[in-house]
Amino acid sequence: MFFAMIKKEFLLLLRDKHALLALFVMPAIFIVIMSVAMRDQFAHENVVFSMKIHNLDKSEKSKNLISSLESDNRFEVLNDDSTQFVLEIPKNYKEDSTQKIKIVVKGSLKSDMIEMFKAKLLKKIMNLELKNISENLEQFSPKTSKALDSISDDSEMFVVSYEKDIAIPNSTQQSVPTWIVFGMFFVIIPMSTIYINERKQNTLARLNSMNISIFSMSISKSIPYLLVNQIQVWIMIGVGVFIVPLFNTPALEINGSIMAITLISVALSFSAIGLSNLIAVSATSSEQATTIGGILNILLGAIGGVMVPKFIMPETMQEFAQLSPMSWGLDGFLDIFLKAGDVSMVLKESFMLMLFGSVCLGISMLILHIRVSRGL
Amino acid sequence: MLKVSNISKSYGDIKAIDNLSLEIHTDSIFGLLGVNGAGKTTLLSILNGLIEVDSGEIEIFGLDIKRDKKEIKNISSIIPQHLAFYEKLTVKENLDFFARIQKANKNSIEKAIEVNSLESLLSQSAYTLSGGQKRRLNIAIGLLNNPKIIYFDEPTVGIDPKSRNEILDSIKNYRDLGTTVVYTSHYMNEIEKICDEVAIVDRGQVIKQDKLENLLSNRVSDSVFVECIYSEKLKTLNLDIKDSTIIQTTSDKLIKILELLKINNIYLKQIKYGATNLEKYFLEVTS
Repeated sequence: MFFAMIKKEFLLLLRDKHALLALFVMPAIFIVIMSVAMRDQFAHENVVFSMKIHNLDKSEKSKNLISSLESDNRFEVLNDDSTQFVLEIPKNYKEDSTQKIKIVVKGSLKSDMIEMFKAKLLKKIMNLELKNISENLEQFSPKTSKALDSISDDSEMFVVSYEKDIAIPNSTQQSVPTWIVFGMFFVIIPMSTIYINERKQNTLARLNSMNISIFSMSISKSIPYLLVNQIQVWIMIGVGVFIVPLFNTPALEINGSIMAITLISVALSFSAIGLSNLIAVSATSSEQATTIGGILNILLGAIGGVMVPKFIMPETMQEFAQLSPMSWGLDGFLDIFLKAGDVSMVLKESFMLMLFGSVCLGISMLILHIRVSRGL
Repeated sequence: MLKVSNISKSYGDIKAIDNLSLEIHTDSIFGLLGVNGAGKTTLLSILNGLIEVDSGEIEIFGLDIKRDKKEIKNISSIIPQHLAFYEKLTVKENLDFFARIQKANKNSIEKAIEVNSLESLLSQSAYTLSGGQKRRLNIAIGLLNNPKIIYFDEPTVGIDPKSRNEILDSIKNYRDLGTTVVYTSHYMNEIEKICDEVAIVDRGQVIKQDKLENLLSNRVSDSVFVECIYSEKLKTLNLDIKDSTIIQTTSDKLIKILELLKINNIYLKQIKYGATNLEKYFLEVTS
């Protein structure tokens, strides 16, 4: 009986092209678009600045600067117009210290990115100056020269640690879990549409007249979507690993355990299915379910860090975000992808998601029981 | 035997079924007549175990509906008014699904296909079927568990006369094969054509139950219908006139009315006693 119910649900879902688009194609496209579009916004220490250089000076000093920039993997010196910056080294750069390097910012870049570029460039120039001074001092004061040498290398001068346990993702690490979570909650639409059609066409009443219990109906409807959600998760991870890098954007690295991914995605799926069941039995028409489901999905996403990443939200909003099950799922995935999380790291989030799903499923069964006893 | 004793069912302040009693004999086609909202569908849902009664007793083939609901559902089947199957599945997929969840065997599926002439439609998606074909699939699904009793809730709504006659013939076949049929319809001629016994339901109560021939017999009604040739004077006579030319009265007043018509030079066409068909009888008792 169970197998027949599951098979039926699968067949109905496979023949719903719009649902398949919403469940698989839409989040996959979002992952690619958002990863590429947000690439520079999420870039931090590992950011690479591209530039074209116009050298009007031709002195050894300017040549040293250019070769130093070319050899640094944080800079990309190109000879075309696709770069983020154009650097113009003025005539007499070596002799006249009042001459300034001109930076042309191409396109729209955030001011903090421009400041970061200026800081890195300044460090580069200062290192070269220090090196030059060090070489000149070597024969007069070897001790001072050595001291200058030690601070003119390219290594980082600071070690940054966060007081709170925050890990900042790159655009792919942010986009993949975000759209996995959002996409999984989209089961609300096909699930509620099928459910409401069954109710309206008396198929549910017919099933009830055939001794199919409410518990069996609810569980047999949930299992196919649990499987669909798991397929979604791995397809989206696949997009992050294999498709996103094709667009010159960092690939998703799975540092955490596969078991942890499975646990958090099953828990998240249970939560999404519970909510879908609740909407399906509460709504009176598929239009109503689609509208309520869509709005709720967007609201939970906006609160939970799907639309705007949580780490850039103000502290009060970050606390508010904890109300959304999407936020719990997102935290779980980010723990796995960024902190090489294992099962123990996602236990809390998984428990909360399972609890949320169970409560929703329980209430939906109660509502369905009341509806059935009133003749649906 | 299906025995319903003093059942009531309310939805808030609305009494859908009000102290209703009836008896349905096995191997017969039992018609349930009533206007919309009379309580027919609620009654069918109660008999099928879909809705629980507030009070009263129901016994179906010796089983008590409160105690043996599961067994009653196993031996009965409801053919709902709406097409209760999956439009996106094929005819075969629908039949297979409903058969498997009821643990019906292959023979039952083959019988349901044969009785409803669905052989050539098995691979077709249900939404591509015509109205009549959809109705036949709807009925076929209800036959999969080899029910002892079938409830038909207006199964011929919205289909052409040819398909309707085919369905009515197949329903008579079920009775002949030993299945008890409870049939509701808005079409009185269908009830007249296939039912052995009829109950008229009004405001949640059975107001008449008898064999069809008794209901149609003149003896059961005191009404007399006097049909006249149309005359403007009819309107001035202060009589109960239907359809401009028919005077409804009772036999004790007939002589006086005939005299009145003679004085006013209104010519007679015909005089009929009692109900002439089920529809007139139905309108008479529910008015």
